[in-house]
Amino acid sequence: MKQPQSSPFPGDGLAPEARGKIAAFPQHALSLRGATVAGRLADVTLDLPAGALVGLVGPNGAGKSTLLQVAAGLLPAPGAVRWGGRDLDTVPALERGRCAAWVPQEARFEFGFTVRSVVAQGRFAHGDDERGVDAALARFDLALLAQRPVNRLSGGERQRVLLARALATAAPLQLWDEPLAPLDPRHVLEVLALARELVRDGSTVLMSLHDLRVASLLDLVIVLHDGRLRASGRPAEVLTPELFAEVFGVRARLVPGLSLELP
Amino acid sequence: MIPGRFLRWVFPFSLLLLAGLAVASLAVGDMVLSPARIWHGLLRHDEIAATILWQIRLPRLIVAVLVGAALSASGLVMQAYFRNSLASPGLLGVSSGGAAGAVVAIACGIASLSLWMVPLAAIGGAFVATLSVVALARRGASTERLLLAGIALNALLGAVTSYVLSTQTAIYGRNTQILFWLLGGLDDRTWEHALMASPIVLAAAFVWPLGRPMDLLSLGANEAQSLGVDVRSLRRRLLVHSTVLTAIATAAAGTVGFVGLIVPHILRLVVGPEHRRLMPLSLVGGAAFVLVCDLICRTSGDVRLGIVTAVLGAPFFLWLLRRQA
Repeated sequence: MKQPQSSPFPGDGLAPEARGKIAAFPQHALSLRGATVAGRLADVTLDLPAGALVGLVGPNGAGKSTLLQVAAGLLPAPGAVRWGGRDLDTVPALERGRCAAWVPQEARFEFGFTVRSVVAQGRFAHGDDERGVDAALARFDLALLAQRPVNRLSGGERQRVLLARALATAAPLQLWDEPLAPLDPRHVLEVLALARELVRDGSTVLMSLHDLRVASLLDLVIVLHDGRLRASGRPAEVLTPELFAEVFGVRARLVPGLSLELP
Repeated sequence: MIPGRFLRWVFPFSLLLLAGLAVASLAVGDMVLSPARIWHGLLRHDEIAATILWQIRLPRLIVAVLVGAALSASGLVMQAYFRNSLASPGLLGVSSGGAAGAVVAIACGIASLSLWMVPLAAIGGAFVATLSVVALARRGASTERLLLAGIALNALLGAVTSYVLSTQTAIYGRNTQILFWLLGGLDDRTWEHALMASPIVLAAAFVWPLGRPMDLLSLGANEAQSLGVDVRSLRRRLLVHSTVLTAIATAAAGTVGFVGLIVPHILRLVVGPEHRRLMPLSLVGGAAFVLVCDLICRTSGDVRLGIVTAVLGAPFFLWLLRRQA
């Protein structure tokens, strides 16, 4: 899979813009200090710079979702999480909705809210001002589905609704739990292109994913194994054949393969 | 933002409907009163009408309206809380808890100490049920788990009620009073009962503004929290108020089932799932529904209210269950 042309990638390391951002804002977009959730996550410490597109990888049960929930403030980890240098425990509930957006791995919708009203929930912390809701809908090809009840959508459509809602929050920290899994190839590329745009505007996107080929195209990669931080850094440094063998139990080989891009 | 159409048309229309039903409820009975006579009676210009209205029909009307509003709003809140459209006070055992509490209070004799002993005991019993369901079923629980927890609680709390009944057989008066709770009804409601039900207004005023965060909660607690809802505090408030609403309604009129299930469901079909609209409408709609059921009771030879709501509600519930499958 290939990155959209707009990407400052290839290969190793942070986008140049991101490097500039780090220099300008020494505060990290997200910091974890010894984040621990009994039985699921052990003593994870990491810092994510502002303006970085970060992949979170690891085998099933490695603690990816748990880490994202801790980072989003959804699982208690007193004193372990900082957003933009600010201790999460000091951020009031409503303000959290403006600081970080979290997209669950899968959603079960019991009630038939329309697609538009679910996306508009992203503006709850902004006083329900509806700003950017239509743009978010358009961005995820949901304009035509806007009045459809969310409990009658396919898995991929539901995922796009949740991503559109996260986009509508305009939060500078975006935490997405396997956003690409249920999407078709075109929407995978759209989401990656969008993430790229958000990052260019200074946001930080942390997404868990299973496709290591996609992970290798991101700015930074975090590898979790059995609830512990196994490695983190630029993909070229982190995603080594040894790590593939040790963590994922697969043999990695670089070969010319299928490449997809947006028209 | 609530669309103007709702504020301008739907909600006023529902209030008008409720007013019409209220007039009908005052008019119908052993002695049918014309609207003109109701007017004169309320102003005490017409002696006989005044006695009928002020002694019998008005307190009954007020209790019916408050009980209906309370049960319906309580059901709506529980559905959002458990993220399950089949949750309701009756099915989860909260009504049974309230009844068991009230029955114990009557049996111990403490009910005669004060007007507020029965509601307080009902609140205590209802909380036992609510907290047990929360512990058993967890939030966002599957329908099966929720209903099974409800079955267990209904059985257990029903056993408490039955036990009290069986030990009180010697005291005939007390037993009739207890049976009243098991059947649910609005007969012989006095101003005392209307006063007993009055805290419903307060609890309803507390839940009224929670519609918007309830929207977010009803789609997932984690999601709601990440979007800026203080989920813990919201949940606590919803749980307390929905339990109190059901408990007080039960104390005032006994176990009246299915109101909290039917009314929010019908309203959701009409105005959609947004709680900013559902909340006010479910209060008005619940009151209207109970008034209709009460009119059926009175025109069909004094069938108990709980029986009418069950006859209407049980098939509706089965239909919902089938549709969900």
